[in-house]
Amino acid sequence: MSPADEAMTRYAQGDAAAFDAVYEGVAPRLEAYLRRHVRGTTRVEDIIQQTFLQIHAARGTFNAGAEVFPWALAIARRLMFDVGRKARREEYRDMRDEDEVEARAEITRAVASGEELLQAREIGERLSAAYDRLSEPQRVAFELVKTSGLSHAQAATVAGTSVTGIKLRVHRAYVALRAALDEARAPLPPSATTAVPPRAGGLLSAGGRR
Amino acid sequence: MSLSPDLKQRVFASLAEVPAPTRADVRRARVWLFGCGILGALAIFFFEGGVRVMSRPPSLVALSSLGTAAIVGTGMWLLLTRGRSALGRPVSLLLATAVIASVLFVAWRYSLSALYGDGQIVRWPARPGFRCMALSVVTGALPLLGALLSWRRTIAVSPVATGAAFGAGAGLGSALLVDLWCPVSYLPHLFLGHLLPIGVLALLGGVLGSRLLRLAWR
Repeated sequence: MSPADEAMTRYAQGDAAAFDAVYEGVAPRLEAYLRRHVRGTTRVEDIIQQTFLQIHAARGTFNAGAEVFPWALAIARRLMFDVGRKARREEYRDMRDEDEVEARAEITRAVASGEELLQAREIGERLSAAYDRLSEPQRVAFELVKTSGLSHAQAATVAGTSVTGIKLRVHRAYVALRAALDEARAPLPPSATTAVPPRAGGLLSAGGRR
Repeated sequence: MSLSPDLKQRVFASLAEVPAPTRADVRRARVWLFGCGILGALAIFFFEGGVRVMSRPPSLVALSSLGTAAIVGTGMWLLLTRGRSALGRPVSLLLATAVIASVLFVAWRYSLSALYGDGQIVRWPARPGFRCMALSVVTGALPLLGALLSWRRTIAVSPVATGAAFGAGAGLGSALLVDLWCPVSYLPHLFLGHLLPIGVLALLGGVLGSRLLRLAWR
């Protein structure tokens, strides 16, 4: 059990002071998840605030010894979908512009030459395209397990499917991404490397976001 | 980009505006709500005649009820409680429990009655099963309502499935009462009067669950 889980157990029993530890343990991970899905800091903060209000209101239903983060993530996802239904579709996106700019700058700093930069962009672009080709259930499963760090059982409950289903989806997503990465790393003919135009975004530019 | 420095203060300030019962409070409320539902169901059951042996040997009634109690007790425990996880039990487990427990208790009732002779499984023309169905639905609806109200606006994952599970659990409970009340073990009667109400209550639970259980912005 993490300190946040223990604090949530105490909070559910009426220890108001324990909420601080719950917040500190959960808020950064929630933010990391929501940043990848919701546009704008204001909206992210609204959902985080609302998630903690829901946790607070339903604290009496929290079982002693249970894990608080999967629960908080499930609440945040539900609220996020509610917001998504209300908002215009184009207001939604998978990542922030700020993320992209920052990640691109990071890549630029990391690579030694223009050719390496180009190759890194190419890999990122192909990975991003491969990720976009995954089915929605595969993307959700991959993200819950690989990025948010949930166990297969927790991810299965959050996604409303079986553990076997989650394992299968994560595996298929991994295989598809792995194949895209291998393909991108294969040596390209000299003419091909110069033909790749620079492009914003992509999976790599998010620092392994998904 | 990071969160606003004052977000934590805003979150903490907003907590005071939302009532937050503790686990002990919630447990008391659940006992009260669910208890009222069960008492209501029992009142209807006894008003309708309570345990009726009629043409059944007392040992058949006792054995049938004991087996049914074991089956529906396990089913109700899995369907009406949420387990150790804060997210509740997986939907696949809830579905499997509802189906297996429902089929198993009908199979138990029918096969046990058949062991007591063909006379126990014959058709009763005057009892096709509608009275049993009505009694099952009415006695199951009250505990279902209690369960739904005690979990109101707290289910983050699959509120429809959770409501349906509550309905199936309540239906299994009412099946035990109807098992004591009904002397007919004719298979089509069991399907119509004893099995179908579980589905009806599960459906009702799903519909009500989508409205009562799901989270709402505060």
